[in-house]
Amino acid sequence: MTERELLKGNIAIAKASLIAGCECYFGYPITPQTEIGEYLSLEMQKRHLAYVCAESEIGAINMALGASAAGAKVMVSSSSCAVALMQETISYACADELPFVLVNVMRAGPGQGYIYPSQGDYNQATVGGGNGDYHTIVLSPSTVQECADLTYRAFYLSQKYRNPAIILADGLLGQMSESAVIKEYPYEEIDNSDWILNGASDRLSRNIHSLEPSQLKLNEHNVNLKRKYTLIENQEPMYEEYFCEDAEIIITAFGSMARYTKEVVNHYREKGIKLGLFRPITLYPFPYQQLRKLSYSAKLFVDIEMNLGQMLKDVQLSALSNVQTAFIGKPTGDWLKKEEITGVIDNLLKDKNANIR
Amino acid sequence: MQTYAKPKSIKENSSFTFCSGCDHGLAIKLVAQVIDELNIQRDTIAVSSSGCSVFLYDFLDVDCVEAPHGRACAVATGVKRAHRAKGNNKIVFTYQGDGDFASIGLGESIHSALRGENITAICINNTNYGMTGGQLGPTTPMGQITATSPLGRNKEYHGFPIQTVQHIAICEGTCFCARVALYDIKNIYNAKKQIKKAFEYQQKGLGFSFVEILSSCPTNWKLSPIDSHKKIEEELTKIYPLGVYKDIDHE
Repeated sequence: MTERELLKGNIAIAKASLIAGCECYFGYPITPQTEIGEYLSLEMQKRHLAYVCAESEIGAINMALGASAAGAKVMVSSSSCAVALMQETISYACADELPFVLVNVMRAGPGQGYIYPSQGDYNQATVGGGNGDYHTIVLSPSTVQECADLTYRAFYLSQKYRNPAIILADGLLGQMSESAVIKEYPYEEIDNSDWILNGASDRLSRNIHSLEPSQLKLNEHNVNLKRKYTLIENQEPMYEEYFCEDAEIIITAFGSMARYTKEVVNHYREKGIKLGLFRPITLYPFPYQQLRKLSYSAKLFVDIEMNLGQMLKDVQLSALSNVQTAFIGKPTGDWLKKEEITGVIDNLLKDKNANIR
Repeated sequence: MQTYAKPKSIKENSSFTFCSGCDHGLAIKLVAQVIDELNIQRDTIAVSSSGCSVFLYDFLDVDCVEAPHGRACAVATGVKRAHRAKGNNKIVFTYQGDGDFASIGLGESIHSALRGENITAICINNTNYGMTGGQLGPTTPMGQITATSPLGRNKEYHGFPIQTVQHIAICEGTCFCARVALYDIKNIYNAKKQIKKAFEYQQKGLGFSFVEILSSCPTNWKLSPIDSHKKIEEELTKIYPLGVYKDIDHE
C-alpha cells in the first residue's frame, strides 16, 4: 500500500478512492478521464461494491445523490462538458447537504471543444452552473501524488461538511505518469448516522428534500448554508508558497500549470530577481487572505492559467491597490512553455524597471 | 365488525393537500396499505419527484429523498445499490407523475428497467402537467385540450402520446408491470393488488417492477370528480388499456 509506483493521475485518483472507502461509483465514459471508471469497474466488482455504467452523466450524478442519501461514500468522475450536464443535481446536493466526490478531469471547451488539456472549468467549479446560493468545495491537484492525497481530502471534507467536493484536475494531469505513493487514508471517519436514510427502524422517518414552500424556512435554510460556507472559508483554504517570502513579483497558478511555473521561478531567482509562486490548492475556498498578505511586499501579481483568465478575478480581489496584476494564458492544447512565460515577464520587468528589480 | 383504519404508514395528523377529487391521495393510501401489509415500513425508502407527487413525504411515514425532476429512478438506483453494497436489503420505490417518469425522465426510467434495477416505480398518469396548471404532457391523448394545446392535441403540432407501460414491458429487466385505474371499487382493489405484487417482486429480487395508475385531475380537466372518473372509464381506458403487461411468474 505504501510502495512507490509509477501511476497516471487518473489511476491515482481511482486507487485512492478505494482506500478512502468509496462504496459507490457511477459514471459515463468521456475522455480524458475514462481510465478512472475502467479501473474501478473491476476493482469494485471484486469487492462487491456498487458500480453502475450509467445511461448518462445526468443518470450518474443522480445515482450519486441517492447513494449519498443512503449514507454511502460515493464518487463520480467526468469531464468538462459532461460535468456541465450535472450542474442541476450539484445544486440539489448542496441544498440537501448530501456529500459526494466529483472528479472533473478538464478538457478544452466551450461546448464539446476537444480532449486537449485545459483549465477552462475554474468558473464552472468555483462559481457553479446550478441555481441558487451554493458552493462546492474545489480541490486542485498539481501532481499525481496530489491526485491521490486530495482524493482523500475530498472524501473527508465532503463528509465533514455534508457538501459535494470537486477534484479539479485536467487532461494533462489525468494522463501523465509519475511516481507516487498511495498512502493510508489519513482522516477520521465522519459519523453520519443522524441523517442518512436507512429505514426508520428505531427512529422517526426522515425526509431529504430541497423543496420548501415556506418562505421563512427557505430563507432560514439558505442562511444556515451560508453559515456553513463561511466556516469552510475560514477553516479550509489550502495553498502552496514557493519562494514567496521576499518576492516582489508573485506568479499565481493552480493545478498542472503551477508545476511548470516553478521552473520560471528558478530561472529568475538564479538571476537574483525576487519572484515567487503562490498556488491555491483549494479553489473554493480561495485563499484570499493568504494571497493578500503577499501583496504587502509584492508589486506585481502575474496570473498564469490554461484558460483566458478565470482565476484572475480572485487574484485581483486578493491584491491590495499597490499591486499591479497581469495575465498570461492559453486556453487549449498544452501548458505555457517557460520561454513563453519569461518572454512576457521580461517585458513587464522592462516596463516596471523603475520600481521592480 | 370491520372498522376503517388509517394506514400505519400514513403520518399522524397529516391530511392530503391535493385538489378535490384528485386520485393522488387514493394512490398514496394504497401504497401505504401495501407497505403495512408487507410489514416493510421500517425497511422502505421512498423517492419522490417533481410535480404534485413531490409532497409524498408529507403524508407517507417512511424515509424519503426527493429527486430532481425526472431523475427518481436514477436516485432510487443509487439508494438501492448503496444499501446493497453495505449488505442491507431495503425496499426502494419511486412515486412519479407521467411527465416525470415518461417525458423528462424517460431515459432514467427505461434504463432502470433495462438494468433490471431491483426497485419499484409508481407512475401517476393524469394526462397533463398538473401542478403547473394543466399543460400538454407525454400522455395527453390526441384531441385533449390543455393549457398549451388550446385547440386540442394534434399530430402536426404536438405529435403522439406515449404508451408508458408497454415500453417498460418490452425491457428485459422488467419483472412485472401493469396499468390500473381508480374509478371504481373493483379497480381500486385491483390497483392495490398490482401495487402489492410489484413490491413483492422487489422483495424477491426479480427486477424492475412498475405500475402506471390512470388518475383523475378534475381541476385541470375542468370536470367534476365524478365526471373525471367517468372520463377515465369511458375514454382513457380505451386509449390506455388496463391490465398486466408483463409478469415473469406467468411466462
